[in-house]
Amino acid sequence: MICCKECLDLLYDYIEGSLDQETTDSLEEHFQECPPCISFMKTYKSTTTICRDTLNQVQVPDAVREALLKVLKENKEHPGEN
Amino acid sequence: MSFTQPKEDKKLEEALVREFQGGNLEAYDKIAEIYQKKIYGLSFNLTRNQMDAQDVTQEVLLTLFRKIHTFQGKSAFSSWVYRITLNASYMKLRSKKKEPNVSIDELMPSFNGAGFQQEKIQDWSENTESLLFTNETRDVINKAIDLLPEKEKVVFLLRDVEGLSTEKAGEILDLTVPAVKSRLHRARLFLRKKLANYFEEFTSRKVEK
Ligand SMILES: [Zn+2]
Repeated sequence: MICCKECLDLLYDYIEGSLDQETTDSLEEHFQECPPCISFMKTYKSTTTICRDTLNQVQVPDAVREALLKVLKENKEHPGEN
Repeated sequence: MSFTQPKEDKKLEEALVREFQGGNLEAYDKIAEIYQKKIYGLSFNLTRNQMDAQDVTQEVLLTLFRKIHTFQGKSAFSSWVYRITLNASYMKLRSKKKEPNVSIDELMPSFNGAGFQQEKIQDWSENTESLLFTNETRDVINKAIDLLPEKEKVVFLLRDVEGLSTEKAGEILDLTVPAVKSRLHRARLFLRKKLANYFEEFTSRKVEK
């Protein structure tokens, strides 16, 4: 059986679905014997989701949007001045 | 897990770029509209500062206007925009005093001699929902991201947050696919560990109730 270290090294490709069948089988065999690695895999996956959902919430503030529009408009009318 | 740009969007974008290169200013407005949020979001997540993100966005949009003739279409237009955005953001970061980064290695998983995990690993993945958009959680996540070394951080932002493919992130950063993968994996391990401290505490509080 593969050990936890090998298991965690394979996580990335496992989640991508890019492991060959044989490696996938040995990884899943490890999961069956090792609940900590299942927990690790699940929390590894949610780390990405949680961070993505949080960081993607960044919105351009209205004031910034307006300021940008103004600069871009001026730039189009008088290129090269700012 | 990664989502790439839909084909139609890409075609539309290429058409807009050509039109703008041909002198159509309305095409430029559309390009600016499409990219404004992406540029602002990425630079904000890198600099964590509204003024800086605003400056960077303005600078990048003006650069697109002035330098569009130098874009030759060898790589995707979006890769070009991301690269300009990263450079402008780095300029902002360089001009500031830098907080010392923690060593990322200290937060990597630890194993015993036989290669088995040494720490107790809890599964908190089901318990994040109710905490997800609270200010406290956002702070924890932002702090964790801030602590990532720059090399890992930028890969994480492009690949996991912006949702670019591994290949595209490699193209933008001039890295091989294996290098992108290994940095991303380290970033995720680091962030997982940081978030684990927070969510595990919450999970055990919940069990006690
Ligand atoms: Zn294990």
